[in-house]
Amino acid sequence: MALQVSRIPSLPPVNSGLARMLPMATTVLAAVIAILPLRVPGYAVLTPAFTLMAVYHWTIYRPDLLPPVGLFGLGLAQDLLAGAPVGVSALTLLLARAAVLRYRRHFINRTFPFVWTGFTLLGAAAMLGLWALHCVIDLSLFDLRNTVFRTVLTIAMFPAASFVLGRTQRALMGAAG
Amino acid sequence: MVLRPSAQIRATIQRTVPPLLVLLAAAIIVLGKADQAIFVSLRTTVTDDAAPALDALSRPIGAVAALFDRVRGIVAMYQDNLRLERENERLLQWQQTALKLSADNRELRSLLKVVPETVVSYVTARVIANSAGGYVRTVMVNAGTDQGLARGQAAITGAGLAGRLTEVGSRAGRVLLITDLNSRIPVVIERSHVNAVLAGDNSERPRLLYARAADAIKIGDRIVTSGEGGVFPPGLAVGVVAALDGHEPRVEPYVELSQLGSVLIVDYGLSGALPQPLTAAKRPSRHKKPAIADEASVR
Repeated sequence: MALQVSRIPSLPPVNSGLARMLPMATTVLAAVIAILPLRVPGYAVLTPAFTLMAVYHWTIYRPDLLPPVGLFGLGLAQDLLAGAPVGVSALTLLLARAAVLRYRRHFINRTFPFVWTGFTLLGAAAMLGLWALHCVIDLSLFDLRNTVFRTVLTIAMFPAASFVLGRTQRALMGAAG
Repeated sequence: MVLRPSAQIRATIQRTVPPLLVLLAAAIIVLGKADQAIFVSLRTTVTDDAAPALDALSRPIGAVAALFDRVRGIVAMYQDNLRLERENERLLQWQQTALKLSADNRELRSLLKVVPETVVSYVTARVIANSAGGYVRTVMVNAGTDQGLARGQAAITGAGLAGRLTEVGSRAGRVLLITDLNSRIPVVIERSHVNAVLAGDNSERPRLLYARAADAIKIGDRIVTSGEGGVFPPGLAVGVVAALDGHEPRVEPYVELSQLGSVLIVDYGLSGALPQPLTAAKRPSRHKKPAIADEASVR
């Protein structure tokens, strides 16, 4: 069960303050990018879940630097800014973190396709869960098609996000990352 | 002295905090669902605080969009020119018609001693944030009470009605788009004068509900605001009937809602009609049915 907590492993210490802030900072940035009004037809509905990508990446590589309290606060802020029911993002991000942390050891030091497969599973589960949660909150059955498209787009965008995050991580944290 | 918790305490915190936060998030969802007014002021504060940053970040997007438009414009110049020439010819004919009608109108108004319409004031606001995901259809704009905006004012573009202001901070506001699940707009079918309610359901095409003579609705019918409920003035263009799903016809909005760059927030002097959301304590009665205009209250 996702609520069951896995221990955060001890990782090599990161001395630079900037590098220590990196996971939280990039996750916040992902949340901001998600609500920027790109003038692409239908984009708002299909916006990839950038925050989820950042949470997945950092929970695998530096879970010690992505505190659950930070995710909780970020989730609340995201909902307040997007006009969504408050608490939904916080819940999703925390559950995603818990799930990834639990299976983390399977993804560490593996080839990228394997990591991507892991994200595919997480993304699909999170999007479906989000859909179900919104259906319950608003007491109406939303069209599942948009959710499916959004999931596909999220999974398709992951390699790019992973590349950017991995590069920044190596640049700022060096061997410790 | 820096307090360093022992490894054991740290492990306990690590173990207990995440599940507690999950439960807290779940509790917040339930709380927000039970009393929608509870997070309104917090939402306004957070939105206000984030507005300058979002405003700055969304500016380059506008510039990029403008650049693309220019490139597209250059590519399509020849075709556009032909089209515009044809359109110009047609519009010149319309201009003659409009001038004649305007003169007639003035004459008839003076005969009938019609009270002139109230002066409307406009504020142009830029869209600085979207709501990602499609479960909410709102946009954030970079204007608030400082610019004279108030709850209930209409957000329009040149094409028609986009939505209405539901939350207003001092420098940012939230527009509930007409496609949102919580949007209810009293409308009238222009051709047949049948009243209906345009109800969003988070899809691209809101539904027409409660039309007395649903059989009279045809594809292509123009839908405009009816002015009932006193939130919008009558006659604002909303959309056209695009599909007849049995008794719930669907309306294609005139405004391209997914590509809103900026909107006009219009004060028709009617915004007093949208009441402030009630908190649980002040709510008069659970069984009292709210008026149509109130339903699109708060998110």
